Amino acid sequence: MASVRFRDSLVVLAAHDVEFILVGVLSAVMQGAPVTTFDVDVVHRRTPENVDRLLVALNELEAIYRGDERRIKPGSSHLIGPGHQLLQTKFGDLDCLGTIDGERTYEDLLPDSVELSLGDGHSIRALKVAALIQIKQRAGRPKDLAALPALRATLEELERSGRG
Amino acid sequence: VTEPEPETDRFSDDGVDRTQIREMLRLSPAERLQRLQDLVESILRVREANGFSSIP
Repeated sequence: MASVRFRDSLVVLAAHDVEFILVGVLSAVMQGAPVTTFDVDVVHRRTPENVDRLLVALNELEAIYRGDERRIKPGSSHLIGPGHQLLQTKFGDLDCLGTIDGERTYEDLLPDSVELSLGDGHSIRALKVAALIQIKQRAGRPKDLAALPALRATLEELERSGRG
Repeated sequence: VTEPEPETDRFSDDGVDRTQIREMLRLSPAERLQRLQDLVESILRVREANGFSSIP
């Protein structure tokens, strides 16, 4: 069976002290949204030191570019840039995004993120649901718009419970 | 006897079932992740049983 192991992907990144923010549907799931995805999307900090840590983690994850039969591994020159590196790993698809929502970087998104525990002493930062809604609204693609009702309802429940 | 939630409160304006969200909010982030993991593995098992080996 094809392998998708969300937590294991995130633990490897966290264990190597990679600075990243989980974005996309998986970040919403971890905050309570009843939605489904098959991949992990992260915005990583693009400093040379962090890219080095990310490369070590990606090597452990056996990351290669998705849909390319040459099985090319990502390099620092790819990860230091603002582009999107669409990878497959031994734990499933992992997208390392230099920027999202135009040119927003890790540092730009950090104030809109929240720390979440993975258990066993590992934690990650995830984009807050409110920020994710705004980004998906601006993206405006059908797949983004389709997720909005569940995300909006989740935000309402978070706010109602004082966790928004 | 606990009464079920009233229909008017159960769904958002967009028709999203709030009870599913409330159930998710009772879990920890790690438990929510595990719930998705279980669901995805179920989907992949069904896909494989029907001749689809790749992830959608």
